[in-house]
Amino acid sequence: MVATASRRFRASLLTAIAVLAASCGGGRASTGATGGAGGQSAQQKSVSIGVVYSITGAAAPYGATQKNGVSLAADEINASNAIPGVRLNLILEDDASDKAQGISVYQKFISQDKVAAIIGPTLTNTAVAADPVAQAAKVPVLATSNTGTGITSIGDYIFRDSLAEADVVPQTVKAAINSLHFTRAAVLYANDDAFSKDGYDAFKKALDDNKIQIVDTETFSTNDKDFSAQLTKARDAKPDVVVVEALLNPVVGLTVQARQLGITLPIVGGNGFNSPVFIQQAGKAGEGVIVGAAWNSAEPNPKSQTFIAAYKAKYNTDPDQFAAQAYAGVYVLAQAMRNASSVERPAIRGNLAKIQNLDTVLGTFSFTAGRDANHPAVVQVVKDGKFQILP
Amino acid sequence: MEQQAVNGIFSGSIYALFAVGYTLVFGVLDILNLAHQAVFMVGGVVALELMLGWHLAFWLALLAGTAAAGLLGVVLERLAFRPLRRRPGTEFSALISSLAIATMFEAIVLQVYGPNLQRFPAGAFPASVYQLGDARVSLLQVVIVAVSAALTLALYLLLQHSRLGSAIRAVAENRLAARVLGIDVDRVILVTVVVSSALGGTAGVLYALVFNGADPAVGHAVELKGLAVIILGGMGSIPGAVLGGYLLGLTEVATVAGLGSPFRDAAAFLVLFVILMVRPRGLLGRKAVRSA
Amino acid sequence: MTDALAAFYQSYSSTINLLGINALLALSIYLTLACGVFTLANAAFLGVGAYTAALLTMRLQWPFALVILAGGMTAALLSLPLALPLLRLRGIFLAIATIGFGEALRVFFLNWSYAGGALGLVGVPPLTEWWHVYLILAILAYVLWRMRHSSTGYALEAMREDESSAQTMGINTTRYKLLAFMSGALVAGIAGGLQAHLFLIVDPRDYGYQRVVDILAYAVVGGLGSFAGPVLGAGLISLLPDLLRNLRGLGISPGAVRQFVSGLVLLVVILYLPGGLVTLLERPVSALRYRRQLQPPDSSI
Repeated sequence: MVATASRRFRASLLTAIAVLAASCGGGRASTGATGGAGGQSAQQKSVSIGVVYSITGAAAPYGATQKNGVSLAADEINASNAIPGVRLNLILEDDASDKAQGISVYQKFISQDKVAAIIGPTLTNTAVAADPVAQAAKVPVLATSNTGTGITSIGDYIFRDSLAEADVVPQTVKAAINSLHFTRAAVLYANDDAFSKDGYDAFKKALDDNKIQIVDTETFSTNDKDFSAQLTKARDAKPDVVVVEALLNPVVGLTVQARQLGITLPIVGGNGFNSPVFIQQAGKAGEGVIVGAAWNSAEPNPKSQTFIAAYKAKYNTDPDQFAAQAYAGVYVLAQAMRNASSVERPAIRGNLAKIQNLDTVLGTFSFTAGRDANHPAVVQVVKDGKFQILP
Repeated sequence: MEQQAVNGIFSGSIYALFAVGYTLVFGVLDILNLAHQAVFMVGGVVALELMLGWHLAFWLALLAGTAAAGLLGVVLERLAFRPLRRRPGTEFSALISSLAIATMFEAIVLQVYGPNLQRFPAGAFPASVYQLGDARVSLLQVVIVAVSAALTLALYLLLQHSRLGSAIRAVAENRLAARVLGIDVDRVILVTVVVSSALGGTAGVLYALVFNGADPAVGHAVELKGLAVIILGGMGSIPGAVLGGYLLGLTEVATVAGLGSPFRDAAAFLVLFVILMVRPRGLLGRKAVRSA
Repeated sequence: MTDALAAFYQSYSSTINLLGINALLALSIYLTLACGVFTLANAAFLGVGAYTAALLTMRLQWPFALVILAGGMTAALLSLPLALPLLRLRGIFLAIATIGFGEALRVFFLNWSYAGGALGLVGVPPLTEWWHVYLILAILAYVLWRMRHSSTGYALEAMREDESSAQTMGINTTRYKLLAFMSGALVAGIAGGLQAHLFLIVDPRDYGYQRVVDILAYAVVGGLGSFAGPVLGAGLISLLPDLLRNLRGLGISPGAVRQFVSGLVLLVVILYLPGGLVTLLERPVSALRYRRQLQPPDSSI
């Protein structure tokens, strides 16, 4: 699947280069573009958007779907001429889940490619290191998956459309309490990952606020495969519910092992569970798991359903939240450009900040005053092998 | 409490199987083979691929994974160890060349499979569970402990009671003398590395099966624990590796139960450290450890 | 001209700075390898320096030069109780013990909530300039260069060649080993402080086993014969990601290729060029000198 994606990417890169080269010829109509129909007039100008995701390295599974999401969105926008007179040209780079490379890519985007804006990076840690570079150069950055703290506070050119765990978790906990009526919780989380730690803090606060007693707290490493010791200890503390906050790989293993150990308690999870891959890999063990998320395929929003169908048609697989947020990000950026009638960096920034109540696949979307995402979260339960909205 | 003991014994048996191959190469060749974790990883990945893509049965995939690891052992020995024997190198040249080979093996797997965790298909192995007092044990876990014990015993018997085994022990003792005695040292070394790698591969398949997944980075976590195990048990000692493996497994579980899970990984390194300070020879080791 | 330079720097500053820091790290491990001490704790000392310096800047607002120095000194001081018991151990066991120490420290950082735990320290002020890094590198290079032909230098070289003979000749090997160990920690700690104020984040996962393997590769690939070797090795390996980025259009995953190439280079060097890549440079230079010596002054014949 990676090889196919690379080939597809190569095709779109070559096409993008062809488009760019053709449009550099000054007023000649371009040929061979992926969105060939839809009014390519001689006045169409090509705008470069730097897209940096983790295509390799620890965060590669997320980067893969993010890449798909932005590509789909850009193709649709270009095909429908959604920004009059402007073609989006995505320049995709890999930061290899590494801070140093993230900074290096940002510098390339800013100085060499002269992009109008940057989308990404995948990981909060990379963003913290690289975003200051963009802020100093006054290039707008739209993050689509950073959920940690300290991102948008870097400066007024940094935005994100990814709802932080701190915003989703309280909704998750409330909905879970309403459904399950528990009073004692055991919490397990990955303590070597910024996302998981932030999520844990959010869960702890939400549980405390709702007067739930936390009977045991256990930690593990994101790369761990054996959780039996922690699960056994948690089980011995006699909770009513198990709360888990970690990335996808460990939560699958943990869920399966928990069931194997005979722990039949309900599991409430954070965003790491929020992927069709979780259901596929955990199988029966995943039934009944409650997950709060910024977006999910159960999302009833019609734009979302259209997106899912288009994504499936193009990439032969279901989209996950990262794809949806990446896709929405491009649309948000496009809307800002449209409102500004300009592709200059300050104009884009100014108009991003003003976006309110925009209809997106994530729901009705607005930026907060702090340039963070604001839209309703989705609390769902795994039932019959699918995510369904928790009643 | 019984469940925790079961947990500890089980993870201990995996550590033990991994460590046995690791310590064998060190005992015979005096080399810390940093490619051992890579063949461990490849074993799991190959078995997974065969079960997922070619729908092979579990036992066949286990054999294939082991064989693949053994084959990589040949590559390792020929490319990384043999050329260095002809030249006076430093003590660490072989360590570094094994590291280089490990990096290349991982890169190839990364290129072919991507970085994602691959999982075995559901139902690849019967999911029966047994009740042992207060503890639950799965059939798979029992099989793994049994296979690990059987293979280790087989290795031990091979070393102590076969001609090949005596040759290996002779080479470990004094390479030059062994050569003088007419032993084909090169062949013995090759066999040693292949056996070690094959055992590592088996451990990898079992690990991948029980934790349901194989990815290019899976060797690294085990590698460092494996290091602690062979130091604890004593470098070059097979029984030491087994003892060390189980001790570490149980210690980790006890740490989680007693001190708390954040300290679990630290347990291995603390053990490593204390042993090297207090009794660097390890529990059952016999190699010289201090410099003159 | 200066405009072009400024533009170049703007595009490549992170690479330039990272190269300098990796060169410092390579030298930190060279210091110890040069006298036969195989320690792999440098990534941990890098972390100690980074945390110390960043915490001092952020919590106590100490001046930059002071925090960098403090980072180095803390690492050096920490290395002392570590070194004393470990230096008795034979090569490989010392290496393993230092790996263990490094990992234990990494777990400690991960759980140290005062320093952010898993999140690490975020928002470190960007105080490192390229000239800070290269100035320290230059000073270190100068010191090492002068040391080569001093009694210390000869002692270290003798120890590397044959430790027991060196001891017999009266060289206090323990003292030199300790000195080398602490100097290595000092340099790594300084590099850590510089790196923290460059990447603006101190992430506990950056100081583990993988990093130390990278640092070892710089030194080995470059060569341990002289201090120029590790610097060369660091330069080459650090530039690989940027160089290989251009290969992406070929449909090859850049991460995998970079890893494979790193491994291949390391293997080739260790098998065929055990002195490291720097010997490739030394040979033509000395060969040239030798040929010039052979020729008679007036070659009219």
